[in-house]
Amino acid sequence: MSGKLLANAVSERQNLKVTSTVKQVQLRQAEISFDFRQKLNDTLEGFRHNYCYQCGACVADCPAARYAPEYNPRLILLEALLGFEEELIGENSIIWLCTNCYNCFERCPQDVRPVEVIISLKNMSVERGTSPEEIAKISESVLKVGSTTFITPLVDRRRKELGLPSLKEIPVEELKEILED
Amino acid sequence: MKYTPFWGCMISIKYPQFEASIRKTVDKLGIELADVEGFTCCPDPIYYQAKDKMEWLTIAGRNIAVAEEAGHDIVTCCSGCTSTLSEANHILKENTELREKVNQKLKKVGKEFKGTIRVRHIVTAIRDDIGIDKVAETVTKPLKGLRVGIHYGCHLLKPSAIMQVDDPDHPAILADLVRATGAEPVEHKLGLLCCGKACMSDEIPDRMVIDLIESIEAVKADCMGLICPTCFDEFDLGQIVLNRKYQKNFELPVIYYFQLLGLAQGLEPKELGLHFHKIKAGRVTEKVAAA
Repeated sequence: MSGKLLANAVSERQNLKVTSTVKQVQLRQAEISFDFRQKLNDTLEGFRHNYCYQCGACVADCPAARYAPEYNPRLILLEALLGFEEELIGENSIIWLCTNCYNCFERCPQDVRPVEVIISLKNMSVERGTSPEEIAKISESVLKVGSTTFITPLVDRRRKELGLPSLKEIPVEELKEILED
Repeated sequence: MKYTPFWGCMISIKYPQFEASIRKTVDKLGIELADVEGFTCCPDPIYYQAKDKMEWLTIAGRNIAVAEEAGHDIVTCCSGCTSTLSEANHILKENTELREKVNQKLKKVGKEFKGTIRVRHIVTAIRDDIGIDKVAETVTKPLKGLRVGIHYGCHLLKPSAIMQVDDPDHPAILADLVRATGAEPVEHKLGLLCCGKACMSDEIPDRMVIDLIESIEAVKADCMGLICPTCFDEFDLGQIVLNRKYQKNFELPVIYYFQLLGLAQGLEPKELGLHFHKIKAGRVTEKVAAA
């Protein structure tokens, strides 16, 4: 199925190159994946990508786009609409440059909440095993010790010096229990 | 007013001086912080949410349920915890389907999200429940002449439809609170720029932080004032890293709001843990001593 739709996808991307003010858009042959779109629709807020009418309001106030012109939330939404799975949740996807600042959430006239769609894409990337290693490192720490940072003797010393009570025990076992299927 | 404080990992473990500065200043505002047992990481809105949003919501729901048992509103001290717990509280109050899903998980440990309390950053609770005037009344040593370049950070204000704290494009909350200490909040052109911490790039967050520090230096502020430990990380330790990496000479002190309030209430810099900062706060404390 994807073979047949390949040409369409490529021509959309070429069109994109002509009309986009962002010249860094890379052209690659892209396959349309309906499975991917279905999966995105089923995530917590992924369905919202369908409301995008490509106005670009999300771009102007995006700090990641300001500092890295190759990052463009409108194009991410377009690729989601087109079903470009590899581009979005393959290795080294551009989605990881999102700063989670929520400016796009503020600006979007369609309530797409681009940042939330991107978070859904990140979840899909994690499931596929293509996410940056920091994600696993920090979430494993949460599940192992109940916090993102480790408690060292220095922490206890500093807390004591500041007259703070000692740290409370973190019920890690309870965390594990609620996350089990 | 009695609240349940949610200290979070960054503050209680990495930057306990911020916890100390809150504990030592807010009792004068008539705030009682009643600690509870049983919290875990909020969990963090960047990494854990990127891992699995449903798990993120479940863990956050559990933390809120723990606080609900105590019966008081949560006050957070970190913008990350604010983001996670406020958004989760909003989702679980509004979306009955997700609430049921989360509660099925929580049932296994005898807990339930009921939707009975609010979650706010402590600065929001102070503005709304206590009042800025009351903050000013606790000041015994006004920070006259101290120019503070405010960095709002993202997650105190946005998404504004959920946070409902202030106009995200023209916020006043932190400037008003800084003014209450007698210091002068100074506007700078990048006051609303993100610190870049969540952006997974070696170079983009660096450029953001460089621009931000330069934006504050350009208006000749004595320090940067903020309320988020993650932003603090980017700017305090961040300046040391940037100085080495890009041969910069940054030395802008970065001060958490409650450290400023503490100084204005006559507390010693050491009691507020200012000596733990990588960028020494000398130019701030000297100015305060001279005021």
